[in-house]
Amino acid sequence: MWLPILFLLIGLSLGLLTDIRVPEAYSDYLSIAVLAAFDTLLGGIRAQLERTFNETVFMTGFFFNVSLAAFLAFLGVQLGVDLYLAAVFAFGVRLFQNLAIIRHQVIDQKLLTKFRKK
Amino acid sequence: MKKNSKWMVSVICLFIGFMVAIQFQTTTQPEVRDTRDEWEVREALQDEQKNQRELLEKIRAADKTLEDYEAQSSQEQLATLKESIDLLESRVGLTEAKGKGVVLNISPIFQEGFSSEQLYPSLTPQMLSRLINELNTYGAEDIAIANERLTNLSPVRDVNGMTYVNNRPLPSLPLTIQVLTDQPQKLKDYMEASQSRDMLSIENLDMEVETSETMTLPKYDAPLHLEILEETGE
Repeated sequence: MWLPILFLLIGLSLGLLTDIRVPEAYSDYLSIAVLAAFDTLLGGIRAQLERTFNETVFMTGFFFNVSLAAFLAFLGVQLGVDLYLAAVFAFGVRLFQNLAIIRHQVIDQKLLTKFRKK
Repeated sequence: MKKNSKWMVSVICLFIGFMVAIQFQTTTQPEVRDTRDEWEVREALQDEQKNQRELLEKIRAADKTLEDYEAQSSQEQLATLKESIDLLESRVGLTEAKGKGVVLNISPIFQEGFSSEQLYPSLTPQMLSRLINELNTYGAEDIAIANERLTNLSPVRDVNGMTYVNNRPLPSLPLTIQVLTDQPQKLKDYMEASQSRDMLSIENLDMEVETSETMTLPKYDAPLHLEILEETGE
């Protein structure tokens, strides 16, 4: 449980310490990739709570989502349509859905069982 | 969760953290710091003070003119007005200008033996503009090109291959450029050693520079078109 959080902190500090900057033109790609990564992470947590977690699905989901998001942004730039907004919208909706499911699961599993015990 | 998948999730988390950190760094702009040292700040301050002093002097001069107008009788006011109109006209170039200066004679160079055909060279607008800029840089006050007085609004244009100054075509070479200046000798020396001379030579043109103690520049006689000028919002 604590290991992922520890690694998240290590990654954050590594990124902040190395002082890497992405060129202005590519910041769109990175932002959407970050969004995809968050989506995958929350999806993984949800799957874990629902006891349907599969590491292969998680891994492929992470890389596939990130690259698809970046590709969509690239395609949008080429076509002159802000296609990355579609990705932002899709990932945003999924983020909220996943969060809602996680909340329900936590309430069901932890709090309600406690109340029932009382 | 199996141990293997735990490590995998951790590595993904590492990736995510790294990406977020880079994104954060990219989006936050570095703050611009004032890196001037004391000396530079002092210089900037001095510049500003000089500016202020100049502005104050201008205000004082304008105030004085205003006071003069108020103090004088109507006839004197008229005289003052006429005087200032004359002054402004002479400054713009609407009157004849006399004084010492420099005469530039621009003539074609004929070289034989290179080829059978010999083109008659002409003074292009770009070349002329360059020459005018150079003259102004070295302290010219009034310029007349082939008896066309240059004002601040005088155009130098290419019209169907001809060079036009003040909307009139220049005569073919050789032509003279009269320049009024306070220090004719200095201007002459500058022009003798200037880049324009080389540029003119490339286009088969020769420039002779002579000083002259008395010269009369013609006045600019066409109406001034001031439609595109606007008042500043002061």
